[in-house]
Amino acid sequence: MIINMLKLYAWSLFLFFCCIFISSSTILLADDDGVDKEAVFGPGDRKHGYDKESYVTNSLSVTARKGKQADLLQFFNEIPLGLPKMKLPGGSTMTEEKISLGRRLFFDRRLSLNDTFSCAICHIPEQGFTNNELATALGFEGRSVKRNSPTIYNVGYYNVFFHDAREDSLEQQVWSPLLARNEMANPSIGYVINKIKRIKEYEGLFEAAFDGKGLTMETVGEALSSYQRTLNSANSRFDQWYYAKQEDALTEDEKAGFALFTGKGKCSACHLINEEYALFTDNLLHNTGHGYAVSMGIQPEKTRVQLAPGVFVNVDTEIIDSVRQSPKQNDVGLYTITQNPFDRWKFRTPILRNVALTAPYMHDGAFTNLRKVVEFYNQGGVPNELLSPLISPLNLTEQEIDQLVAFMLSLTGDNIEILVADGFAAPIGDIRTQDPNWAHDSEFKTE
Amino acid sequence: MKEMLPFKWARGAVASALIGAVALVGGVPTAVQADETCMSPYMAKIVGQEDFVYVWTLGVEGMGDEQDKLVTISVNPDADDYGEVVHIVSVGGRNEAHHSGLSDDRRFLWAGGLDSNKIFIFDVHSNPREPSLHKVITNFVDKTGGMVGPHTFYALPGRIMVSALSNNVDHGGRTGMAEYTSEGEFVAAHWFPTDDDLRGADKTGNFADGYGYDVRVLPRRNVMLTSSFTGWSNYMMDFGQMLSDPEAMKRFGNTMVVWDLHTRKPKKVFDVPGAPLEIRCAWSGTNNYCFTTTALTSKIWLIYEDKDGEWQADEVADIGDPSKVPLPVDISITADDQGLWVQTFMDGKTRYFDISDPHNPKQTYEHEIGSQVNMISQSWDGKRAYFTTSLLGSWDKTGKDDEQWFKLYHWNGKKLDHQFTIDFYQLKLGRAHQMRFGAYSLYSQAPNSSDTMLSQVEQ
Ligand code: HEC
Ligand code: HEC
Repeated sequence: MIINMLKLYAWSLFLFFCCIFISSSTILLADDDGVDKEAVFGPGDRKHGYDKESYVTNSLSVTARKGKQADLLQFFNEIPLGLPKMKLPGGSTMTEEKISLGRRLFFDRRLSLNDTFSCAICHIPEQGFTNNELATALGFEGRSVKRNSPTIYNVGYYNVFFHDAREDSLEQQVWSPLLARNEMANPSIGYVINKIKRIKEYEGLFEAAFDGKGLTMETVGEALSSYQRTLNSANSRFDQWYYAKQEDALTEDEKAGFALFTGKGKCSACHLINEEYALFTDNLLHNTGHGYAVSMGIQPEKTRVQLAPGVFVNVDTEIIDSVRQSPKQNDVGLYTITQNPFDRWKFRTPILRNVALTAPYMHDGAFTNLRKVVEFYNQGGVPNELLSPLISPLNLTEQEIDQLVAFMLSLTGDNIEILVADGFAAPIGDIRTQDPNWAHDSEFKTE
Repeated sequence: MKEMLPFKWARGAVASALIGAVALVGGVPTAVQADETCMSPYMAKIVGQEDFVYVWTLGVEGMGDEQDKLVTISVNPDADDYGEVVHIVSVGGRNEAHHSGLSDDRRFLWAGGLDSNKIFIFDVHSNPREPSLHKVITNFVDKTGGMVGPHTFYALPGRIMVSALSNNVDHGGRTGMAEYTSEGEFVAAHWFPTDDDLRGADKTGNFADGYGYDVRVLPRRNVMLTSSFTGWSNYMMDFGQMLSDPEAMKRFGNTMVVWDLHTRKPKKVFDVPGAPLEIRCAWSGTNNYCFTTTALTSKIWLIYEDKDGEWQADEVADIGDPSKVPLPVDISITADDQGLWVQTFMDGKTRYFDISDPHNPKQTYEHEIGSQVNMISQSWDGKRAYFTTSLLGSWDKTGKDDEQWFKLYHWNGKKLDHQFTIDFYQLKLGRAHQMRFGAYSLYSQAPNSSDTMLSQVEQ
């Protein structure tokens, strides 16, 4: 009896926090079409309210993560409202064969040296095609990557790729993670090509998709890019309001947030919106002061560490450093690429579409929620000699901060469920006994 | 190979569980003195002195051959090479070598890679001094439908239960355990209960996180217990980086699950906050309880059957000063259920708790073994305790505190006496982790293996 009452109490607390979470972050609940909505909008291992002792789990099973294959080409051919037509590099075409091959590659963990890393392990479908559970990425053998995994949604609209814009073609970009020693760690281009060649599921697929051209460095890039160029997601409530003129698509607070975004907040100076479409990026790099602060900041003496729901301790930062395998990596942004001292701590402006789904934020994932990002801008970023002239203190009220956040939460595309469910349905390439591996090629008997 | 198994799986899990129950009601067989106390009760036992300790060792980039290996150490004081490394099998790759476990007939040692998901099966019976690689299972993730990080290898009759730590969709903590035959054929996957699919279990508290770590059984009560740690993203992450990433610190297990051993169905999910790791069950036929320790919150927990036959989980003691996060790691129960060794990684200490009152453990002794310490394996008579250092490749200490060794101590009931140390870095071997015992005596009496508890009952 008492236990039941306690349970009831726990549940009501839980519902209470749930509501807070939902109201403060999303909107996502569209109509029912058979896909588990909860499963596509965030990690199945839900940790909302974990900082409180009253935390109650609401976890989803991995085995229930089932999806439905989608006609992805439609999202390229009929671009969702609010986005412009997507340009393809010269001579390239989009076909179902290329997309489906790229999708297979994207989810294939065998594309790494030890068969454990696919693109999708860092760009996780239900986590906004990024990783909501890590500030900065972790790659092969747990090696640290100094940056946050960006979302793949709408990635085809960038002119430059990576936080520091070091790459300018999606086709070429794919080779960076494939070869990086702290990502998929393949030793060479030839190694990747030869491994794919020996995996049965790919037999004939490259030839079919690329008109006899077969499996090459270029076609791997083109296949992966083709898949990524279909992950276009717009026609959000904002688009319905702004471009389709549906007055009631946004709440009054969200509309006020839009006014701040394009007015007092000066956000759209960099996160562009125009009369036909809104990319929310200028494809340029800026110094907001965040990179500067991280590089030059002084570490606190104590670090607050969470041990269990509602249980925290303050640990000497010195002790934490004693178990750091390598010092925290520094990041000077665009400077690393140009060596131009005036480019220090410049990072590329990210597209803000679906930003509700892509926490944590900034190039290093330092901000866990959107309110923290807006508070950062409100104080004028972090002053430094190279701070962008477009950034200055905003004097936003608490209400205005909430309205800006509310506006950004209205940027979630209407096809997220379809794209994520498609990701769930994609075959995960895990190593099998017929795949290349020394243990299969030797005298060892394997299963 | 098959025909030499000490008993036949064909009798079925139910029968075996019952046999196990009978075996233990009689208490600990008197002939046994040498073996480890954390072994499956279904396993063949060593009589007399153990001859070898097999150390599952992590390769270190830039050191020696840079790969994981099984290191065999001669530990019989009568041997000419006592205290020396006598054999090494390198297995290819840094797989995040972690735990290992013997098959029920003790002819094979299964050793897992938490990163590569490979399972290396060593033949330890053909020549106990020189184990050889018998088979490599590479398709654990595919076969289990997405489990990552094979961790504990626990012998059940004719079977190996393999608990995992992570999954192949988000590298987080939701996971399960997989059942294999002793020959290495996949049998079944058992996912840990989550809120949307409790699989018939009762969520007794606030948590059902679906995380996994260790698995142990209490056959006489038809009970299997599992604990919960964290997923790939955390156990592979630079420890310092993880401690300062508040999102990552939310992703530790807070649960233990009580299962029906023979149906493999979860019955109760308990809140045990702060990453409950190793599980050690009492041996005496009347002691229906197991211990665990929580790595982050530094507590000893007792999971026990109460007077009404209900299983309960209670926090029963602090380990060191929990506010300093000493990080309790491996534990070991004495064969008479009177003592529990608890290692604390951060201060490199081993601590002895008097558990004669299991609801009220009291620390009675502590000793600093080195700058860091993780595993302990004690002999059945409690007189010898072996220690190793490594926790995880990315969590071990750095610089001069990154000692990596294997040490033997003698315990006289009051004090630990150091016998010898083997420096794994000096020998360019890598990071010493899990230990398992080997002995010639096990195989000389084959094929009947009259020393298994079960076969004793059968006679
Ligand atoms: C280990 C995690 C990891 C893996 C594996 C990985 N990525 Fe990424 N990805 C990242 C990170 C981190 C960045 C940002 C890196 C930077 O800016 O320096 C990134 C950036 C990108 C970008 C640029 C996005 C933008 O906004 O500019 C694309 C496109 C991309 N990844 C696609 C892929 C593809 C395709 C694969 C598989 C071939 C892949 N990634 C594998 C972590 C990963
Ligand atoms: C000077 C150009 C500029 C202005 C003005 C600007 N931003 Fe940004 N914004 C950026 C850049 C550059 C980044 C990436 C910074 C980084 O990665 O460290 C960014 C990052 C963000 C992010 C994080 C997105 C992600 O996926 O990590 C959000 C949210 C954001 N801005 C919102 C706003 C809002 C709201 C405003 C107005 C209050 C604003 N920005 C004004 C350039 C600008």
